[in-house]
Amino acid sequence: MTVLANFDWSYIWEHRDELRHGLRLTLEISAIGIAGAFAIGLILGAARAHRIPVISQLAAIYVELIRNTPILVQIFLLFFGLPRLSDHLKFEPFTYAWLAVMIWGGAFNTENFRAGFEAVPARYREAAFALGFTRIRTFLNITLPIGFRISLPSTINTYVSVMKNTALLTAVAIPELTNTALDLLSTDFRTWEMLFVLAATYLALVWALSGLIRLLERRLALPEST
Amino acid sequence: MLDRLPHWAEPVADYILHTGVKNTLIIAGTSVFLSLVVGVLLGTLLTIKFLPIRAAIRSYIEIWRGLPIIVTIFILFFGLPTLADELHIEALRLSEIKAAILGLSLWGSAQIAEATRGAVQSIPREQHEASAALGFGWVGRHVNVILPQALRRLLPPLVSLSVNVIQNSTLAQILGVPEILETAERSTERLSIPTVDPVTLEVEGGGDNHAFEIYGAVFVLFFLISFPLTRLAAFLERRLVV
Repeated sequence: MTVLANFDWSYIWEHRDELRHGLRLTLEISAIGIAGAFAIGLILGAARAHRIPVISQLAAIYVELIRNTPILVQIFLLFFGLPRLSDHLKFEPFTYAWLAVMIWGGAFNTENFRAGFEAVPARYREAAFALGFTRIRTFLNITLPIGFRISLPSTINTYVSVMKNTALLTAVAIPELTNTALDLLSTDFRTWEMLFVLAATYLALVWALSGLIRLLERRLALPEST
Repeated sequence: MLDRLPHWAEPVADYILHTGVKNTLIIAGTSVFLSLVVGVLLGTLLTIKFLPIRAAIRSYIEIWRGLPIIVTIFILFFGLPTLADELHIEALRLSEIKAAILGLSLWGSAQIAEATRGAVQSIPREQHEASAALGFGWVGRHVNVILPQALRRLLPPLVSLSVNVIQNSTLAQILGVPEILETAERSTERLSIPTVDPVTLEVEGGGDNHAFEIYGAVFVLFFLISFPLTRLAAFLERRLVV
């Protein structure tokens, strides 16, 4: 097949700097997005699980709004809608980029953490109260460490999705990996070289993270659940 | 209700609700149908204890679930046409909308295959044995006994998948298919260009593209479509669990 015969590894090597720069941006946006999604999920998930008035209801609305709308629409609303609303909401594209994936991941993570905290058996908390723990100490010492471990697989799945979602930022011209590869593709028409780079990189990242889930699941499995 | 809108909004709403919604429904509907047919078939075959088949289907699932859907769509849209010359198959030159539908279907069928495998395996072994005793072969057993029961358990994930496919149909915007998001984007572009009245030569519009209102409306529109479906999925989950 001529397509395979014409595959030019040196083309990828010659453009390694651009591609590496794109990958770095993908990883940077993913890292900030994942860290933010972790923090949002932890706080709002705890508020949801403990039914803290007002915060819990607002968190529920946030979760439903984000989960029931396409992330691409959220990206467009942030990038093009928000700056029109007020001058105070004008940021650099990079800021919108990590905000978009973070807000999305935060909503899914809120649900993950809520489910994890609610899965902690009530008798553990009752035991803590009986020992004289306050509500906050019960959360920090009992619900958090156990609930966190229960929710770990689903939260990592969300982080994988956050990373994959950064590819959508190509629609708003953020020069991450997908955008960089497509730019090169449309100038030099080395189609399969660029598609190979994209597919191989994303699959490597996704499979590595999924492998981590399985590893953690085995290492951190609660004694009771096995 | 449309009467109370500002004058710029009427053609925009008309364009999004007619052209945009129609194309979104075509993309999502076709993709859900293809995902279901291919996914149920692959998921059922995945329960066969023949390693090469299992390995092939497993790779299919892991690849199309692992790739960002937009990358899959790019592979179909940019990659396949280069093979069309060589293999003399003109059908490989996919249109934008076909590339989007196929990309979504590859991802969706991988999801359904995984769910089907779980559903088929959850049917007790006695059902297989009883239908085998009645003289059914593998195909007859699955078509007449196992799948009708497994499909019931597949209903909640299928509704969730439909919601996901509807939302991800917006990825077709990146190739320029006039679905809901693309019609909204074109509307903001059109509004930002000033128009000159040919008679009075008065310049009208331009400047404000109303991006916040338009994308906000698209956001609400998707919410109104998705929210009832996610409620339905949750309801079915509770109903069918027992």
